[in-house]
Amino acid sequence: MTQQARRSPLLISLALGLTLSSAHAQPVQTVRLGFFPNLTHAPALIGLERGLFQKAVGAAKLEAKAFVSGTSLSEAFAGGQIDVAYIGPGPAINAATRGMPIQIVAGASEAGAVLIARKDSGIRTYKELAGKVVAVPSAGNTQDISLRHILKEQGLKSKADGGTVTIVPIPPADTIAAFAAKRADATLVPEPWGAALQAQGHVLIGDEKTVWRGGKYPTTIMIVNARFAQANPALVEGFLKANTEAVAFLTRSPAAAQAAVNHQLLKLTGVKLDPRVLQRAFARTRFTTSLDLEALKEYAALNVEAGYARSVPDLSSFIRR
Amino acid sequence: MDTRRSGARWRTATWQALGLVLILAVWWLVTDGLKLYPPYVFPSARAVWTEISYGLWGTGPQDGKLLAAIAGSLRRVLTGYLAAVALGTCIGLLMGLWSPIRSTLGAYLTGVQSIPSIAFVPFAILFFGLNERAVLFVVILEGFIPIALSVSGALLNVPPTLRVAGRTLGASGLSLLLRVLLPAVLPNVLTGLRTAWSFAWRALVGAELLIAGSKSLGEQLEIGRNTANVALVLATIIIIGVIGGLFDALLRTVESRVRRDYGLEAGE
Repeated sequence: MTQQARRSPLLISLALGLTLSSAHAQPVQTVRLGFFPNLTHAPALIGLERGLFQKAVGAAKLEAKAFVSGTSLSEAFAGGQIDVAYIGPGPAINAATRGMPIQIVAGASEAGAVLIARKDSGIRTYKELAGKVVAVPSAGNTQDISLRHILKEQGLKSKADGGTVTIVPIPPADTIAAFAAKRADATLVPEPWGAALQAQGHVLIGDEKTVWRGGKYPTTIMIVNARFAQANPALVEGFLKANTEAVAFLTRSPAAAQAAVNHQLLKLTGVKLDPRVLQRAFARTRFTTSLDLEALKEYAALNVEAGYARSVPDLSSFIRR
Repeated sequence: MDTRRSGARWRTATWQALGLVLILAVWWLVTDGLKLYPPYVFPSARAVWTEISYGLWGTGPQDGKLLAAIAGSLRRVLTGYLAAVALGTCIGLLMGLWSPIRSTLGAYLTGVQSIPSIAFVPFAILFFGLNERAVLFVVILEGFIPIALSVSGALLNVPPTLRVAGRTLGASGLSLLLRVLLPAVLPNVLTGLRTAWSFAWRALVGAELLIAGSKSLGEQLEIGRNTANVALVLATIIIIGVIGGLFDALLRTVESRVRRDYGLEAGE
């Protein structure tokens, strides 16, 4: 039932070389799940809140770890500390490019990232980002790649590329404080942090549709460690089922889902959001388990355009179908 | 005499080249040979070389980033270093010439010097913002202290006979300082200048790592980290080491030349 992933013989030999204490024989004790405390990761938050992942791992222990950015999650993944993760396409594509043992297994959310300018920054259009400081969750992450694409479309460039726009990494939950301290003039953030900034009087410059592809792009996808998947196909199936149930709950009962998401966000970030803020953020995010391979390929091309990679990897070999 | 010296130099160079070959051989064995680590954890020397060559003399639209980063970092460190030299010399003179300043400020500076530069970065970011000034602040802070301490220390160690001789020959005040004391302290101050350089260089890279958004080696490290590109991280580390080493060697040459001129070191 599980289709073998097509991987290079080199990678397989590496994998075998590394798996010194073979995981094939004994059942896993702990399954480690990585995700971010954002609305775009709502399937992860719902899965935790409703015990869906615990059900998926059965008798094994579920260890859920919240990360602030794809960078740190990707590092943990490279170090073999993560088995299953919700992550943005940017870091996932980078990880695949570098030969990490990753399999993209499902979609989680689309769109859900907006460009907000600080109310006293004077920015009202994309063009006015010239000479300003723009925050993204982390360099090389999905929003960073999107921002660089927007800048290119507007004929602007980042400082590192010889332009005028300074791009700084600030964790989304910290953008409210960063705006208050005037450390950034604008930010391209995943929800609910965009709606939360808007509630403070900051200005929406670009909604989720104007960021890229009319809003039809994956923001969060589900990946698994290829070695983990090979050793534990049933667990992967379980996580896929949990993801599907979480997405179904998100689309079927938005009100209850919002309350559940808010509860998890409060637990993880210490920020309690106004239900109206969350509602607005929800309206800008689409939850789906399907994967848009074309959009992922375009992402990989944007990643090259942003200078984070030299070539587009053959993504189809990383996608499990 | 001369042939023996150049012979020794050749021997040193040969050993250094052999050392490099050995390092590369072990590297090859660990990565390509035995495949002890996957390439996304520890890349091959070839992959790192590829990053260096793209970054330094690549001609693609996204190439040459390391070269630009080196230029940015060097400009920043030289600005900070020169400011640190000026500031450190002034403070060192004050400390060396007036004991109240020496016993108060001197003690604090020794304490401040023991604080790792990276500890000042969060403060610098809050105070100056995420910008160049924050980086310069950290670099100057790290650089000026060794200079101030070496200048004041050297002034204290000037043999009293030199002062007396200078006075007897008619020097006083500023001319005593410029024509007797400063030349007398020069060899010791050069040691301080070299220490200050390595402190400033380390502080620079540390600060650049946290204050992104400008062309810098620190930013290249961060980009490498963020895009899971370990080869770029190692390439940048190697470049940081080479530049730091080259500058140190340059200053060391100046230092030993001066020490030889002062008769403190054996020479030709």
